[in-house]
Amino acid sequence: MNIEEYLRRDYVATLLKEGRRIDNRKLDEFREIKIEKGYSSEKAPGSAFIYLGNTKVLVGISMDVGEPYPDRPESGVMTTNVELRPIASPLFESGPPREKAIEIARVVDRGIRESGAIDLEKLYIEEDRVWIAFIDIHVLDDGGNILDAAGIAAIAALLDTRIPRYEDGVVVRGEWTGKLPVTCTPVPVTHAKIGDKLVVDPNLEEEYARETQLTVTTTDTINAMQKSGIGAFSSEDVDSAIDTSFKKAQEIREIVEG
Amino acid sequence: MFKVEDREFVIPGQLVGENVCCTENCLNEDDKVYSTIQGMVRVKGNSGKIIPSSGVYTPKRDDVVIGLVVEVLECGWLVDINSPYMSVMMGEEATRNVMEEDLSRYYDIGDKISVKIIRVNEVYDFDLIKPRKLNEGLIINVNPKRIPRVVGKRRSMLEILRKKTGCNIMVGQNGRIWIKSDRPDDVGLAVKAIKKIEREAQTSGLTNRIENMLDNNWGK
Amino acid sequence: MAEKEMKLIVDGKRLDGRKFDELREIKMEVNVLERTMGSAYVEWGNNKVLAGVHGPREFHPKFLRDPRKAILTCTYNMAAFSVDDRKRPGPDRRSVEISKVISDALSSVAVLEKYPNTGIDVFVEVLQADAGTRCVSIVAASLALANSGVPMKDLVSACASGKIDGEIVLDLMKEEDNYGECDLPVAISPRRGDILLLQMDGNLTREEYTKAYNLAVEGAKKVYGMQKKTLLDSMVNLEEGE
Repeated sequence: MNIEEYLRRDYVATLLKEGRRIDNRKLDEFREIKIEKGYSSEKAPGSAFIYLGNTKVLVGISMDVGEPYPDRPESGVMTTNVELRPIASPLFESGPPREKAIEIARVVDRGIRESGAIDLEKLYIEEDRVWIAFIDIHVLDDGGNILDAAGIAAIAALLDTRIPRYEDGVVVRGEWTGKLPVTCTPVPVTHAKIGDKLVVDPNLEEEYARETQLTVTTTDTINAMQKSGIGAFSSEDVDSAIDTSFKKAQEIREIVEG
Repeated sequence: MFKVEDREFVIPGQLVGENVCCTENCLNEDDKVYSTIQGMVRVKGNSGKIIPSSGVYTPKRDDVVIGLVVEVLECGWLVDINSPYMSVMMGEEATRNVMEEDLSRYYDIGDKISVKIIRVNEVYDFDLIKPRKLNEGLIINVNPKRIPRVVGKRRSMLEILRKKTGCNIMVGQNGRIWIKSDRPDDVGLAVKAIKKIEREAQTSGLTNRIENMLDNNWGK
Repeated sequence: MAEKEMKLIVDGKRLDGRKFDELREIKMEVNVLERTMGSAYVEWGNNKVLAGVHGPREFHPKFLRDPRKAILTCTYNMAAFSVDDRKRPGPDRRSVEISKVISDALSSVAVLEKYPNTGIDVFVEVLQADAGTRCVSIVAASLALANSGVPMKDLVSACASGKIDGEIVLDLMKEEDNYGECDLPVAISPRRGDILLLQMDGNLTREEYTKAYNLAVEGAKKVYGMQKKTLLDSMVNLEEGE
């Protein structure tokens, strides 16, 4: 039983009935976002450390050479992994990723993959040799809305990524031949439903109080959506969430690309 | 002799004094006394104590704390009090007919209550009495070691908080504070003031600064 | 160790220009995380390590509880992207061993009797690794534990020394660790000088060992000075916050 959830969710819900959030934000307002690109640049080809309010996530990109998928022999490969490290919350446990981590990884992955943010065709090297981009999302402090923090940091890290030199079948570490080809900046925006209200970027208290949530990842089109958690949305809720997502994503895109 | 000044900060393993009497959060080796925690030394003549600046709440006799009912048992309730140790509150605190009644009638899972701690033994078995329900309101957590400052000398700080914010405030020694008001802005102001007290707990003149802050925020 | 010929000392200086008894640059900070009881961040050369403490809290499973004291467990983990060749996430034999020796060292100074029946969990996340992570981790873990308010008889300080091109030097960096002849990480309780962690691999003569050990202890004492300042400053800083 999550003690903190029981202590605070009623108050958050009551407050929101009056249209107010516990940290005084507007319903469609994100917490402050700070991004440090190249955080692990001594080792990782690409990286970004994000502060989304109190939530802290570090994303590192590793580049390796391997075999393509048989059905797409001329295309590079990307994979996304999320580690909800126990340091990030007293509620997280050690061990292999559980369903929450896997869901976050898959939603972030879909946004990047379906928007074509990584130009995978350009990651072809030679027959049976392509670049593999590993997106490793390391969650360090859970202040709520890990999903958006992870998705935003992931695309920021990809924008920071260099491609290592590849010579005679060996990846030369620490030497670079260019930047990873990134074509667009998909941004996830998560909406929590609390009572009959929708709020973006729920903090921890709001996550305790929310019934369900919807994540919409956009570029100039919608690239990924995910409803998560028990509870229901009306189709009006979803329409309004999509509109807000486009608007918010544009604001965040400027921070990510800046 | 003390090797540190009154109000000096110390860290674990630091020499505090020789042939002195230090009773809390320290370690004696031969004639020497060392601190076991990070915190502030208070010296009075040849005796002293070290006030920790962080740490979990450990139950103490006569403390009034804010608890959460986590389980309804046949004989009473299991209560979380923000400490590593859970406790059972006996059904007799609510009814004489413990065995015949459904105890969730009185306190159910998720109910927030203030309770008093009596009798604590060395493995932290303890009893809770005098429950009172805390309906609605916001419960925030602060560093339990800072609670004495939130209350203040002879409850002076708490009185200022209550008067100047207009909120109903109940401070649990376990680091949980319950705040209630019909006006969300007032609750927000109280939270802001309490967080300031928590941050600046080890400074002097804090009462005045809090009073000023609340006066300046009034009506905003 | 030495698998490949590489000159590590040129004109009496090390590859990164340090003197034989010189530490890499070190930065420390405590109280960096929201959801832990205590936390610390240490940058040491190109190493970046985060440590956090949960607890004392209820220990599970119940039958393994110790009614006389708390059980302290440290978990050391490397981020996949913390090294040149991506590390597969999850514990391997190396990180399990390091977790254990750090747990042992911290348990030797923590006053665990104060919290019977509970568990204290220390988590160490290596965000970027560049030789000597176990010493950096133990320094960060010890800071986080002190920051969390768990009573300790002393802090734990650590530093490694080693042998490169026949010379005994302090605090090996990546190339020196890879191509040098020996690595000797040491953790001490600075107040009493007790040895809390000692590992060695490579080869050293009896005399070289003594020299290397003394050098490592000297390094650890310098690190202790920084740890002490970090903790004291963190308490002063609390006052100044708005």
